[in-house]
Amino acid sequence: MSKQLKIAAMAAAIALVAAACASASGETTTTTVAAGGASQGALAGTLAISGSSTVEPVSALNAEAFRNINPEVGISVEGPGTGDGFKKFCAGETDVSDASRQIKDKEVEACAASGIEFIELRFAIDGLSVLTSTSNDQISCLSFPDLYALLGPESIGFRNWNDADALAAELGAANAPYPDAELVVTAPGEESGTYDSFVELVLEDIADERGTDAVSRPDYTASANDNVIIEGIAGSDTSLGWVGYAFYLANQDRVKAIEVDGGDGCVSPTPETIASGDYPISRPLFVYVNAAKAESNAALVEYIDFYLSQDGLANIDKAGYVRLAEYAPVRAIWENRTTGKNEY
Amino acid sequence: MSITTRSNKEATRREVDRAIRSGGGDWRPLAFQGLLLLALITSFGILVVLLTDIVTNAWPTIQARGFSFVTDGLSLNPETAGVFTGIIGSVIIASIVALLAFPIGISAAVYLEEYAPDNRRTRFVDTTVRNLAGVPSIVYGLLGLAMFVPLVRMIGLGGSTGGKNILAAGITMAALVLPIVIITSIEAIRSVPATIREAGFGVGATQWEVIRSHVMPSALPGILTGTVLTLARAFGETAPLLVIGVATGYFAPAGDASILDRLTGPYTALPVIVFSWSRQTQAAFADTLAPAAIVVLLIVLFLLNGAAIWLRNRAEKRW
Repeated sequence: MSKQLKIAAMAAAIALVAAACASASGETTTTTVAAGGASQGALAGTLAISGSSTVEPVSALNAEAFRNINPEVGISVEGPGTGDGFKKFCAGETDVSDASRQIKDKEVEACAASGIEFIELRFAIDGLSVLTSTSNDQISCLSFPDLYALLGPESIGFRNWNDADALAAELGAANAPYPDAELVVTAPGEESGTYDSFVELVLEDIADERGTDAVSRPDYTASANDNVIIEGIAGSDTSLGWVGYAFYLANQDRVKAIEVDGGDGCVSPTPETIASGDYPISRPLFVYVNAAKAESNAALVEYIDFYLSQDGLANIDKAGYVRLAEYAPVRAIWENRTTGKNEY
Repeated sequence: MSITTRSNKEATRREVDRAIRSGGGDWRPLAFQGLLLLALITSFGILVVLLTDIVTNAWPTIQARGFSFVTDGLSLNPETAGVFTGIIGSVIIASIVALLAFPIGISAAVYLEEYAPDNRRTRFVDTTVRNLAGVPSIVYGLLGLAMFVPLVRMIGLGGSTGGKNILAAGITMAALVLPIVIITSIEAIRSVPATIREAGFGVGATQWEVIRSHVMPSALPGILTGTVLTLARAFGETAPLLVIGVATGYFAPAGDASILDRLTGPYTALPVIVFSWSRQTQAAFADTLAPAAIVVLLIVLFLLNGAAIWLRNRAEKRW
């Protein structure tokens, strides 16, 4: 019997330890964070940030740095996707919505319907990199028609690069014929903003002309994890795919960026060509601020001020995106609290 | 007739003789043994390769950060990122699982084994529970999103996350491991010899008395082993948490947040940290920080499994 009692005691001990850990957690977090704060600011309140998973790293870095300065402010940053972010934003659930594209008119209406006005701040640019293996020396530049022939909706079933020759000739693609080599495509899945951007920037115009759907070919290895896509591209000598510029930047030794010809010659993705707009497939990154909350929530104002400060902009580089050439216009929009969509 | 018999005996004797003397003459038993050994080496080899790979990748982080990797919180700076927030989240989830799934699961097992009549309905329930244990965890995530998140919101514990918080996560995990708790408890109770029960009834004990002072004490070691293993499961699951809105970015509670605010606010868990780090843009996260987080997770799981084995060996009863 004593043995059973011991076991019961042990079980109780385990439960107690678990409970103790749980209740102690709150305390521990507080002390850690308070100790990490640079100064004890009087700023309090909470910030809810949601939206694009592409922007999430920048916002998370900024939120963290901001929290270290203002240790009393509660912050949460998540990245379910631009569209999901706007749903929450227009329902008034979040203070800031991150976006890897401009807000759609439909979303503007949804916001207006619930009386939410927004301040649109374009703060960085992300270039989409078209990638192949470093050992692929036969392909160095592709134009939009080339990319359409190899990755567009009419390329279903092309297992070899030169399977696309006929279609490329029809489109007048500049870099055909292609080598006789296996075409291994690894790219983001349809749920991803990176996929949407690629389709919109590269495939849509040609698809419209040809009367096809503006989608990519469906028969490729899709992943939501960009590091997995990099693995796939590096894993085959004759691979093809695309990811955000940041992931190319982190893996330059393993994958090669193919120059892209948007009609004005071949341009390789570099911070300079992306910032100047010479690189043809890049997209702007935004944060949308709830205008009413910017009036009432002091922490929100400080957070956006930090976002547009030099320290905040440094986190754009850290996350692997490219800064704008000029920040005066966006700072002016923020200072004047100008609401609504802007033209670029 | 007699001649045939003799020659048969003769043949048999020769056959036996040959089998004994020639020893390794037949290659088939050896080949079979070799095949079995190969199977063992393959599965063990995969494990070794996996562990070596993870530990090698994790080594730079472990070396550079040491124990501070375990005590630092969520961060997107590779130099300061740690798994503490995830460990806390996982411990709270495991505690909720222990509080909910263990009493309910063990009670259900006692009822099924000791009280329920052995009829078609009972067997149907038994089969259903066993099938539920095999349902993929993502399905429980969807169940959590459809039922437990609104439930948590309805009882006023939604907090700033609208119910997508650690309470809903804990309840979902509890539902996920409940069938396993029931099954392991049933097996443990079933392994208590009938003679123990009969002896109890024989001296005039009621059914409640027999269960309380004979069956349960004897079954407890088995039940404990099973429940500790389900805690390990609750620690390692990722998919259901992703469905019910675990935070993948950054969060920190407000300075004046109460314990309740923290419990109903954003949360994360150890395996989710591995998931979100493996898709970060900064190479350091996927290359070495995620493997280091896996090492921490593995150590926790080894400790839990070790505890289960220790409990079993310590409390093992021989009849």
